[in-house]
Amino acid sequence: MARSELRILALVTEAFGGRGGIAQYNRDFLSALARCDRIGGVIVLPRFGSGSVNALPTGVQQLRPVESRNAYSLAAVWTAITHRPIDFVFCGHLRMAPLAAVICRVLNVPLWLQIHGVDVWHDLSALQHRALESATMVTSVSRHTRRRLLHWVGIDQARVKVLPNTVESQFQPGPKPGYLLERHAAGGKKVLMTVSRLSSLERYKGHDRVIRTLPRVLKQRPDTIYLIVGDGDDRPRLESLTVECGVTKNVLFTGSVPPEELPDYFRLADVFVMPSVAEGFGIVFLEAMATGIRVIGGSQDGSRDALCDGALGTLVDPENGEELASAIITALDDPTRTGDRTTRFKSNLFSEHLNALSQFFSEHSRRSLRERRTSQRGKVTVSVPNAFRSFANDQQCR
Amino acid sequence: MCGIAGIYAYHYAANAVDRAELRRIRDYMAARGPDGLGEWYSQDERVGFGHRRLTIIDLSERGAQPMMSADGKLVVTFNGEIYNYRQLRASLEAKGHRFRTQTDTEVLLHLYSQKGEAMVQDLRGMFAFGLWDAEKHALLLVRDPYGIKPLYYADDGWTVRFASQVKALLAGAKVSRDPEPAGWVGFCLFGSVPEPFTTYQDVLALPAGSTLWVDRVGTHEAKQYFSIADTYCRAEVTTSAIGNKADQQDRAREALLDSVRDHLVADVPVGAFLSSGIDSGALVGLMRDAGQQQIQTVTVAFEEFRGSSEDEAPIAAEVASRYGTRHTTRVVTEQEFQIDLPKILEAMDQPTIDGLNTWFVSKAARELGLKVAISGLGGDELFGGYPSFREVPLCVRALAIPGRIPALGDLTRWLLTRDFSPSLNPKAAGLLKYGGSYAGAYFLRRGLFMPWEVEALIGADTRLGLRRLNPIRYIEGLLEPKPSSSFSRIAVLESSLYMRNQLLRDTDWASMAHSLEVRLPLVDSRLLNQFASITARNGSQSKRLLAHSPRVPLSPKVIERPKTGFTTPIQSWLQRDNRIQEWRQVPSLAAYKCAWARRWAFEVSAATAGA
Repeated sequence: MARSELRILALVTEAFGGRGGIAQYNRDFLSALARCDRIGGVIVLPRFGSGSVNALPTGVQQLRPVESRNAYSLAAVWTAITHRPIDFVFCGHLRMAPLAAVICRVLNVPLWLQIHGVDVWHDLSALQHRALESATMVTSVSRHTRRRLLHWVGIDQARVKVLPNTVESQFQPGPKPGYLLERHAAGGKKVLMTVSRLSSLERYKGHDRVIRTLPRVLKQRPDTIYLIVGDGDDRPRLESLTVECGVTKNVLFTGSVPPEELPDYFRLADVFVMPSVAEGFGIVFLEAMATGIRVIGGSQDGSRDALCDGALGTLVDPENGEELASAIITALDDPTRTGDRTTRFKSNLFSEHLNALSQFFSEHSRRSLRERRTSQRGKVTVSVPNAFRSFANDQQCR
Repeated sequence: MCGIAGIYAYHYAANAVDRAELRRIRDYMAARGPDGLGEWYSQDERVGFGHRRLTIIDLSERGAQPMMSADGKLVVTFNGEIYNYRQLRASLEAKGHRFRTQTDTEVLLHLYSQKGEAMVQDLRGMFAFGLWDAEKHALLLVRDPYGIKPLYYADDGWTVRFASQVKALLAGAKVSRDPEPAGWVGFCLFGSVPEPFTTYQDVLALPAGSTLWVDRVGTHEAKQYFSIADTYCRAEVTTSAIGNKADQQDRAREALLDSVRDHLVADVPVGAFLSSGIDSGALVGLMRDAGQQQIQTVTVAFEEFRGSSEDEAPIAAEVASRYGTRHTTRVVTEQEFQIDLPKILEAMDQPTIDGLNTWFVSKAARELGLKVAISGLGGDELFGGYPSFREVPLCVRALAIPGRIPALGDLTRWLLTRDFSPSLNPKAAGLLKYGGSYAGAYFLRRGLFMPWEVEALIGADTRLGLRRLNPIRYIEGLLEPKPSSSFSRIAVLESSLYMRNQLLRDTDWASMAHSLEVRLPLVDSRLLNQFASITARNGSQSKRLLAHSPRVPLSPKVIERPKTGFTTPIQSWLQRDNRIQEWRQVPSLAAYKCAWARRWAFEVSAATAGA
């Protein structure tokens, strides 16, 4: 008898219990996927993150992280075998795509691949090319990332869809919190802010461009301070730069802040600025806009999606200091807070779109499995998994 | 001919349709439709259509587009002509449909409401349209079987935009100009950009004979509803039932006359391009047989050719006189060419090495007040008029066995392209590598540059482009399913590659620039269905059937005249033009024996790369 519910194996870098934008995206994605009708369960195998997670969404089972690359590969194959039946594999990072493609090939199930940004900034390995070509569908976090991928890989553009980040409900508009005004002596000052991990691998985010622009801004708005939230190995370089630019007094490095304080930090700011040149999407823009503050981003990367081509915030050429300074001054001069501008990125829309994509995926899976069966005819007999067949025939999501 | 445009912001995060952008796209195509313009937006502003109109059928305002169905559930923006629209309308009226206009556009709306996407099988004509189905909340894009009318789209992942021209989409200023290496490599290899690629990564051509749905998740894969290769394959099964020579001639005349008659449907005069060849001459004879009394014909001539065998004007005048047309011979001079060259490069939608002749003959037709002209394009593909029908099978027979020896082709290619053989024709170096298969031999016959020459022309992205295009596999794909006869195989390749990507596209932009609709009775899926079995049996002798199809056949002088093609002295004009001399900087192009088309291709790519 045909099973009516699908079981999914999700190979991800981090998800529940992980940190950063990709982990957040995976959590949102897998939670929404598990809520779809006909989805019987999602088995998540993360590579990093905390081993113990208190609460998981219904339908999601997360296994212990396996950090070593080889051990992870073995664990993935073992999970695929021991958790059968698996109806499709979701792969949350391009680096894992070759492994996911092999598992899909062995199980004869379709592959859904997610790409984020930096993973497709450069040409891909031959194995990654093959994995991408074998994927039934690729979801990209932004239009920019999708375009970059399509530059390198000649796959049918119709199979590459965009599913942007969503934003969590704790990011809401509100007054400047008194305890932070006091902590950073920010009372009566205009606050510019950037939030990141301050990793030397993420210099593209453009803190240095803001610091270099600061003298121009201070000349006209001397009561401005620039809050750099987050901590990482790029901090010493930026600290030196503040000395070099003579803006030490106006730049505050907060260090790491507890996640529960982050919404308050956004509320403390007047303007969030991140003139990045290589942002896959920039979930931090959404968090800032959800709290109602003004946002400035770069016009050359995935930031365009977060700012909706300028409809939600100001896009600047990140390499143009004058344009950046002018945008900052204009934003600082506007005292009105806009309210939550991220309605279009709310999780209900994300979930609905994911449902529609899963239907598209199921339709195309049937076709690609049929094609694979035809191409293998005469070699081995392959059958379309029963659950998938019935899923494809009647895919309805909540 | 018209210009169509549309924007559908299908993704939940996308901004609503930018009206100014849609107008920029639409109005870039003003020359395609100088007689009217229109736009339509859905209530939620997520969908917008634009249209530029060239009035040919139902000249009244009622025929304006975009056109909405009476119940408001369907909207269409349409470019082209549905030649059998009167029959379709009668059949729909019999089923209770009530019409408000006399247009073929309205027939599309009713036919879709009756049959859905399957409507495409009923259409005879050249067409490209976008149809919004409000109930399905989805957009349907459709292109005619041969791809006579262009349709390009760009899906950025949030919003899909479509238009009749690549440059129009770019004029909207929201489509990325990132280059597509496969498009540029394809141009270098074939002399035209092979669809679905364009020279821009984000812009794709909807393949000929295909439909495409766009819904809330974006574009779906294009679905092919007509295949030339499949038509020939099916025809080969039925060749036994085609009768004797006399039967064949009767059937040919009937099928050709039927096509010509349908192609004359218009509320404005329909003229004809006339050369010294069989195709255009026979069509003019058939126009007369179809009952058209007044026929304006036009031939382009060049001073340089006067008195030579390349001068088409005297024989064309004789044909015109035989069929009693009002005939005009339009002389094009070098000075006029020099003045027009910048306009030609501007009008060229995608880089191509051809189309100059169509530019001038269309210009001449428009000067005579014509809005519509019949052309004999397609005759050589249908009736086997090109030397390739003879040469490619010969090449394959000769090289099939050596071509199978592993690595021999690559080795000889490598040896022959070393520095010690610089004067060798590049195609000779590829003989063993490609000559043993139909796809390879055809590539040698039609190819402009060989793959190993391309890097010197377009640089770093060549490898990426070659990997993505994979030219031999591309050609093999056109031959699926593979007909058994050599004639049918070459007919498929000439029709699906050279004619589709080069001749039809060039005819579109070059005539469009002069607001002239060119109709092609020999490029017709119904005619092909009727004719493929006859040509599959007769091979290259089939052209005689065309020559003898008019009630007054063409004269033996025209029938027996060796094929010259529509030649022009443009080669020497180009070589003398001081504005286009960059090719002299490339050693392989500056070589004495280099073909002018290769130099011209280089100039075209330089002129259009930044456009």
